Amino acid sequence: MHSLKHVQNQPFQLNQQTFQQNSQERIQTARIELQHIPLERRPEETVVAAVDTSSMKIGETSKGILIAVRGASVWKQKRNYRYLRLGPFIFHITEENRKEVYNILQMTCFNSSHEQKRQSSPRLFQMPTRIANLLERWLQNMLSKTVSNGLILFDGSLTSGIADTPSQRMKKILDNTRKRDNVVLAFSKMTTLRFNGYLITDVLLGYKPPYLFELSGLKPKPPIVLLGDVYVARLTKGNYAFRLDIDKEVPVERRVESIEKLLGNDLFSQSYPETLRLAHIFCTFTANEVIAMQHFISRKYNLKIINRPDMHRLLFGPFGKGESCS
Amino acid sequence: MKLYKKEGNILQILSFPNETIEKGDYLLIEDGDNATKALIVQVISVQFANIPGILEELLRSLPDGGELMQGEDFDPLEIAPHITYIQDARLLTCKIRATVENESLSPSSSWLPSRSRSAIKKLPIPTLFKLGKTDGKLPIILGGTKDASLLTIDASSLDGRLNIITGKKETGKSHLSKLLIPNLVRYGATVVVFDLNGEYVSLGMTADGKRNAYHHKIHVLTPSQNFKVSLKQLHLHVLLSILIHALHLPGTSAREFRRIWRSLKEMGTLTIRELGEAIRNWRCNQHVRDALFSRYYALVNSGFFSDNVAEAMLLEESLFRAKKEGGAIIINLRNTSSIDRQIVVEYLLGRLVELLKSWKLKAIFLFAEEAHLYLRETYWDDIVTRMRHFGIFTTFVTNQPDTIRQNIYRQADNIFLFNFTNEHDLEVVSRAARVDAETVKSIARDLPPHYCLALGKVVRDFPMVVKVKALDVKTMGETRLFFKDMN
Repeated sequence: MHSLKHVQNQPFQLNQQTFQQNSQERIQTARIELQHIPLERRPEETVVAAVDTSSMKIGETSKGILIAVRGASVWKQKRNYRYLRLGPFIFHITEENRKEVYNILQMTCFNSSHEQKRQSSPRLFQMPTRIANLLERWLQNMLSKTVSNGLILFDGSLTSGIADTPSQRMKKILDNTRKRDNVVLAFSKMTTLRFNGYLITDVLLGYKPPYLFELSGLKPKPPIVLLGDVYVARLTKGNYAFRLDIDKEVPVERRVESIEKLLGNDLFSQSYPETLRLAHIFCTFTANEVIAMQHFISRKYNLKIINRPDMHRLLFGPFGKGESCS
Repeated sequence: MKLYKKEGNILQILSFPNETIEKGDYLLIEDGDNATKALIVQVISVQFANIPGILEELLRSLPDGGELMQGEDFDPLEIAPHITYIQDARLLTCKIRATVENESLSPSSSWLPSRSRSAIKKLPIPTLFKLGKTDGKLPIILGGTKDASLLTIDASSLDGRLNIITGKKETGKSHLSKLLIPNLVRYGATVVVFDLNGEYVSLGMTADGKRNAYHHKIHVLTPSQNFKVSLKQLHLHVLLSILIHALHLPGTSAREFRRIWRSLKEMGTLTIRELGEAIRNWRCNQHVRDALFSRYYALVNSGFFSDNVAEAMLLEESLFRAKKEGGAIIINLRNTSSIDRQIVVEYLLGRLVELLKSWKLKAIFLFAEEAHLYLRETYWDDIVTRMRHFGIFTTFVTNQPDTIRQNIYRQADNIFLFNFTNEHDLEVVSRAARVDAETVKSIARDLPPHYCLALGKVVRDFPMVVKVKALDVKTMGETRLFFKDMN
């Protein structure tokens, strides 16, 4: 009751998504400062590329889980968008094979299973996101080696040192991008970073978009490493803003120039770049695709799909709202 | 195919792209456990199955200003064909037509086969007819069904029945009539055709103008030319019907006419000339005389009445010849005015009833094209009730279904339905008792030209889509075109 009294007469948001990673809680924001940077569109022809991946559990077997992973890279060149979509890749992960599968994938994507020896392999329920993350890093690495003088958009932050994003791997990707004169711009759809108690993306200072706020004074707790400087980007009119991480090694002028080139070369919807939006759309699984994958599995491997009874429904009837509410 | 849902007598079946099922097809649903029982259903609608996420799927493929986005898919497990397979899944809405139990059919739909273990397969039309035991002794081949088998009806299923052939213009209604008529004649039937546009006059000729096998059995009667009547042949009530219904003679005048008629009959002077004289000299009110005179001149001007009995015998001769060896009497109404048409039809129907009542004729098959143009209001009920008992079995042919009364549809035994796209027309036809409205509306709307949906006793109440077979008959029903020779 006491905690609720503090939020009297304030709006509250429904359907706020929960965070899978807790890395952001490990960043100190006590001495955060904001610096406003106005932006202008630069229409100079620049390649814009983006990567995103998605994963999902498509079923359970008596021994483990069936998961599907897919990745997409989209690039805009000469006013046209093109895409490369990889997958879906379907895996059957069990307690017995999870370590082996993960190591093989790491070895294949980064030739670096030794890198992970210090870390324990992901738990079974973490496997879909961890495998998707491997694919995402691999796709980012590929783009960094193929695109020149372009802008590479990542989905998420440039925070590393967490289980699925080892610092060395992320640094290597950023090094590769710099070698070919690319700039990485990482957009986070959500953040827990707060300024004066408010989410940084909710801070409205009355400036006319497009603009950036540079956040200085962020101090991550080890082993977390911020490989980029953090900004809040409000690129179009409206109430939407995103956390934007830009590679630390890129000179400050080049960072602003890059985001201005992005403004001049890509479309924006609610402050979010279209290339990244398309990458997300292309990798996401639709319900139809899930049915198709289940169809494939049942046809090819003669697996019978069984709906596990929902114990909440079973026990509580209409009051059981499913496992997500537990 | 998988059984999905049942509501009332409608079943929904999930079908996959490799199963080619079309509207109108019949399916047999065999229960996995009960091998002796099966359901016969007909597909009346084919839709895409409501697959979750399909909208997202389609939107994703068109994000670039409506143009297909270029790109590559690396799909090592080849999931894409499975996605297409799911996307193209179809939901078949089917009507339950019968239950097969121990090889006999019953119209029951109370039984439901297993959803998970049922085997669903396409039912070939010949098998369906074998189950329905529709093979008769007087076969008429209507044409081909979708699965390339012949649809054969039995002539006896038209006997004693009320039939309707309807569809929009140029879909093949008259073509079907022209197919049925020679076949009925072949089996010795007497057919009378009210031929509004002179389409049937060449029924005895092949397409290249030669005489065909029915030539000597086709009798074309053109009113006021080779088809005339003498007053001596007429019964008073037939002429009064003409005067009252076709020429709208008032009651008082009709009474006077009756007296004049009796007087002339007693004197043995029933001729057109004497009738005119009698009206002139009859002692009656001047208005009555004027009314009688105007009708008298209408009769005279029609050219249909003659005092020469010899030239007024062709109808009877044709009918009696047809009675002996089968034949069709084509009443060519092509160049006949609206009033004369009504006079001819009134006379003919009256005369036919007389001949049938006295058993001089056994029964006749009457084909009436666009009957609303010459049939008076009271005849509609007469045809479906009274005249049917005398032995007049009518087939109405029309492209305006709302001109036929509702009760005719309800009592129709057979309907041959060609394409209609107009909702109102479909609504009218769907009132027919022998079929449900959904079947009519759904199937008839998509019928291509020359395809017809046969409903009723001819197909043992299994609605059947058939492509009416081509005829080697000289076509006379072609529309006259202005630009024909210029192309």
